Amino acid sequence: MNETDLAGPILFCVALGATLLLVKDSSIRFKRVSFPMWFLQSALETQNAAGKVQFGYIYGMSAIGCIGIYALLNLMSSSGVSYGCVASVLGYCLLPMVILSGSAVFFSLQGTIGTVLALVIIVWCSLSASKIFISALDMEGQQLLVAYPCALLYGLFALLTVF
Amino acid sequence: MAYHSGYGAHGSKHRTRAAPDPPPLFDDTSGGYSIQPGGYPAPGADVAFNVNHLLGDPVANVAMAYGSSIASHGKDIVHKELHRFVSVNKLKYFFAVDTAYVAKKLGLLVFPYTHQNWEVQYSRDVPLPPRQDLNAPDLYIPTMAFITYVLLAGMALGIQKRFSPEVLGLCASTALVWVVLEVLALLLGVYLATVRSNLSTFHLLAYSGYKYVGMILSVLTGLLFGSDGYYVALAWTSSALMYFIARSLRTAALGPDSMGAPAPRQRLQLYLTLGAAAFQPLIIYWLTFHLVR
Repeated sequence: MNETDLAGPILFCVALGATLLLVKDSSIRFKRVSFPMWFLQSALETQNAAGKVQFGYIYGMSAIGCIGIYALLNLMSSSGVSYGCVASVLGYCLLPMVILSGSAVFFSLQGTIGTVLALVIIVWCSLSASKIFISALDMEGQQLLVAYPCALLYGLFALLTVF
Repeated sequence: MAYHSGYGAHGSKHRTRAAPDPPPLFDDTSGGYSIQPGGYPAPGADVAFNVNHLLGDPVANVAMAYGSSIASHGKDIVHKELHRFVSVNKLKYFFAVDTAYVAKKLGLLVFPYTHQNWEVQYSRDVPLPPRQDLNAPDLYIPTMAFITYVLLAGMALGIQKRFSPEVLGLCASTALVWVVLEVLALLLGVYLATVRSNLSTFHLLAYSGYKYVGMILSVLTGLLFGSDGYYVALAWTSSALMYFIARSLRTAALGPDSMGAPAPRQRLQLYLTLGAAAFQPLIIYWLTFHLVR
């Protein structure tokens, strides 16, 4: 736990972004365009996503969320934690969210089953993140307390995926 | 603090290079640094994400090391400034909570009428942390409730198709301003009513932050059950919160040696707690009614 490894989290963020691009692009999935044109077009479409929540807001909010969880863990635990450790754990536990956005390619998430699946994935992500935190920082009886802010943060990611 | 040592002990390559002392601005191969013009350590031995491999250029390498040393220096400055304003140890007292305490406190906020003993317990003039004393105030619940309130407001506005990030920011900053105003008013009241009081700024912040739990419940009920549900929940949570604040502040304002204060001072204290309690439903209504239209 003393090694800050950001390779996995960055890979998962890229995978999440890629699957989100696939999802947002599903409307032109059946047009016959060449692969490079498809990639460029979907990238431009997401840039011009008027009316949809801007990606910049989401990245900013997740950075602020990471800082918030870093502050909270430093206040709640007896030993401190470094920012890199927090970012790496949160990034690794983002993996189930990639599954959620991958499944969004196959069926729309806006119905009941999509909401239920999103809730299950959020609970899964936040419980695993909080489990790692409390075992690394030796905090007892605080797992649900750590899981709640992680759930709020992953809920933001899920909002990005579903809507 | 603990996080300084944690920072230095990490295994990433470029961090251990920068940690001991600031690297020279020029590529000085005689200084014992492992920056070499041509060769780098064997890639096989290093599985962590190493930015230096990507750059492959000694000048950029030095710039990266210099940049990270600047970053750590900046971080130290931020920590020093922060510790001047906020005593982290006093703040840690308010976050020493566990799940059982939070569950019981939330139940108490919704239904405080059957709770008998409202006194904060002390052990040798030091108040017990929230883990061991249900009556001690904490800052975890108010903070989480505030953040949840902001997110819930965003969701409520989104459901009513009135969402935009500016409105959300407006909501968040309005709530924050009201909290600050209330804490300042309470501080002024406490200063006027008693000369010596056990209530620090963080205590008052905690007590004024408990109303966000009531706000969240009201908004949720309003979203699920419509306008009638909102008013019922508002009435219930307001009365519960008024009772909670009145009982808590009355015993919390006294110290570990709760001798009877002289009569006019006691009356001022009573007016203060009643005023604080009566203010709660107004502010709850003000901050939530536009969300449950």
